[in-house]
Amino acid sequence: MAEEKYLLEVKNLCRHFTSGKGKNKLTVKAVDDVSFAVRPAETFGLVGESGCGKTTTGRTIIRLYDPTDGKVIFDGREISGPMTKELRQYLTDNIAMIFQDPIESLNPRMTIEEIVGEGLAVRGMKDKEEIRKMVHEMLEKVGLTEEHATRYPHEFSGGQRQRVGIARAMIVKPRMIIADEPVSALDVSIQAQVINLLNDLKEEMGLTILFIAHNLSVVKYFSDRIGVMYYGRLVEVANGDDLYAKPLHPYTKALLSAIPEPNPITERTRQRVDYDPERDHDYSEEQPTMVEVEPDHFVYCSPSELKAYRKQLGIAD
Amino acid sequence: MKYIDHNIPEEILNIPAEQFELVERENIKDEKFKTEPIGFFKDAMRRMGKSKPTMISLYIIVAIIIAALIVPLFTGYKYDEQNVSFKNLPPKIPGIEKLGIADGSRVLTNRKASSLEDPDRFPEGCIIEIVNEYEYKGTPVVDVKVDYYKYLGVPEDQYHWFGTDYLGRDLMTRLFRGTRISLLIAFFSVITNVIIGVIYGAISGYYGGKVDMLMTHFAEVLDGLPYIVMTILFMILLGPGMFSIILALCVTGWIGTSRLIRAQFYRFKGREYVLAARTLGVKDITLIFRHILPNTVGPLITRAMIAIPGAIFSESFLAYIGLGISPPEPSIGILLADGQNVLLQYPNQTLFPAILISLLMIAFNLFANGLRDALDPSQRGEE
Ligand SMILES: Nc1ncnc2c1ncn2[C@@H]1O[C@H](COP(=O)(O)OP(=O)(O)OP(=O)(O)O)[C@@H](O)[C@H]1O
Ligand SMILES: [Mg+2]
Repeated sequence: MAEEKYLLEVKNLCRHFTSGKGKNKLTVKAVDDVSFAVRPAETFGLVGESGCGKTTTGRTIIRLYDPTDGKVIFDGREISGPMTKELRQYLTDNIAMIFQDPIESLNPRMTIEEIVGEGLAVRGMKDKEEIRKMVHEMLEKVGLTEEHATRYPHEFSGGQRQRVGIARAMIVKPRMIIADEPVSALDVSIQAQVINLLNDLKEEMGLTILFIAHNLSVVKYFSDRIGVMYYGRLVEVANGDDLYAKPLHPYTKALLSAIPEPNPITERTRQRVDYDPERDHDYSEEQPTMVEVEPDHFVYCSPSELKAYRKQLGIAD
Repeated sequence: MKYIDHNIPEEILNIPAEQFELVERENIKDEKFKTEPIGFFKDAMRRMGKSKPTMISLYIIVAIIIAALIVPLFTGYKYDEQNVSFKNLPPKIPGIEKLGIADGSRVLTNRKASSLEDPDRFPEGCIIEIVNEYEYKGTPVVDVKVDYYKYLGVPEDQYHWFGTDYLGRDLMTRLFRGTRISLLIAFFSVITNVIIGVIYGAISGYYGGKVDMLMTHFAEVLDGLPYIVMTILFMILLGPGMFSIILALCVTGWIGTSRLIRAQFYRFKGREYVLAARTLGVKDITLIFRHILPNTVGPLITRAMIAIPGAIFSESFLAYIGLGISPPEPSIGILLADGQNVLLQYPNQTLFPAILISLLMIAFNLFANGLRDALDPSQRGEE
């Protein structure tokens, strides 16, 4: 696998938050030893319940937070090292982010044109007319019109604001987008609209997307590969189809069982599985590690669990 | 399949999959807005215009400022023009004098009844009425209400609207000239405080961590210095005057502002739109001034507005304890301090400066509140 070309590689990434000093020191391991890799032009879905560290992972990759430990490599270059002007430039040229909250993520005192055009202005584009033209083109692409450009964010609906956020991220032509729950705050009909838009743009621009979501139903048809996170750790990484067809980790199973089904008959009998790490694992003797159970399918498990999983998949030792 | 309790008709459940057709997703296109776009400050001004107290207080402030600028030019007296023979005159205002108020009259008490006849003591026609008659040790004594202007022989056409002080200086001229000085002191100290406070608070709040800790401690130490001592030090160094007072007010005055700004920065620097700008490579300085600082404008203006009466008051207080600007230059504080020495005999000398300073304080406070509401972004677009 080592020769394979990845666009983004995250290796043993840790991000801990500390508060207090001395005796009162408190450490939150928001992200703890997370590794995964994203291929060019693929969509990687990062899923997990609220507070499991998805946002922190995304923000650490783009260096809104400094990693406590571990490495992040983008296109062969380490981007987790000491921050320099040049590295910041490299990051902003290559990775952009879409945020979770459609209200919070747009400056209430700037017009849409200023918000979307800021990335261009920062890149030294001086010609106001040219910026305006590009902004209008971009707005067109996300389904907004020219005349929305002079408006302020408070005049828009949640879905529209989120599309503005997408326009802002896309206009600088990044190679990768980190989309942090871009649809969680929207209602279901608008969710599809925004996801389809992201998908179209991805196709058009050959983007790589790290798509963060808190339930599997959103990433289901959208992601090529999916990573499942639980309490700051990745517990299972697999191709989208594999994850649905043969989930291994009990937490993945729990998440899958939480997806509502469109068929009213089967939906009524859907069995909700819950996950309790105390009950589902016995790590008193063996320590769990991330293991590749079958090609491209990783699970966080102990040796004995591994054996069980292999048996389940019908793979001989 | 197990039987499940449902009331979906069989024919619907048994529609074959081929009969389903994918509805093509139409392109997203949004409706045009029907309203005009409106900028943030325009919107704020519009909302402010709708609030009566704010507008009234604004008119009062403007009126006082205009009065401070032009009244001293038109009274016909100079603020330092003394005339000791016409001292402590009561107010006399043309027109209103006929109504029996501000007519330049005063009650003189304990006068020998016989002296009323003496034209040297009581010039012809100055006596309006005898208020009280009684005897003291066998001598008839009266309280008499006189036209004090005639009593002192002030020329017929000379009016002092607010009266004169103990040196015979026209109080109206002095009051409005004093307002000018007070406003000037307030304005300069507020401006410098806001500038220092904003920059200091912004740096300490934005960068946080060690920088913040050091800066906060430094401010705390400064805050511990009593400002009277500071004023005296500056006066020793630079001599008494406006400059020393402004400097003294500036040394510690900015600390409150910087705390406010720092808190606002802590609140806003983690907002998603700030983070979004950071991921786009926006520079710190732009983040500070364009993305975060505008959020502090509301509280900042409110604070600055409230600080104005505060500064006027500090100046008055300094004047009161004898550390004011050097005479004969007046200020509201000096007038108040002078006036209260003779409060019981000549209440008008305290009344007018007191009314003016109260009006100023109330107007600035009301205006500050109105501005704060108008600039509150959460009320954007609301009536
Ligand atoms: N700046 C911070 N300081 C301290 N703790 C933090 C900070 N940011 C996040 N955390 C903690 O880290 C953990 C992970 O937070 P994170 O925001 O990454 O979760 P999330 O998976 O994005 O959740 P959600 O689905 O609600 O967005 C949480 O326990 C949170 O309390
Ligand atoms: Mg999150």
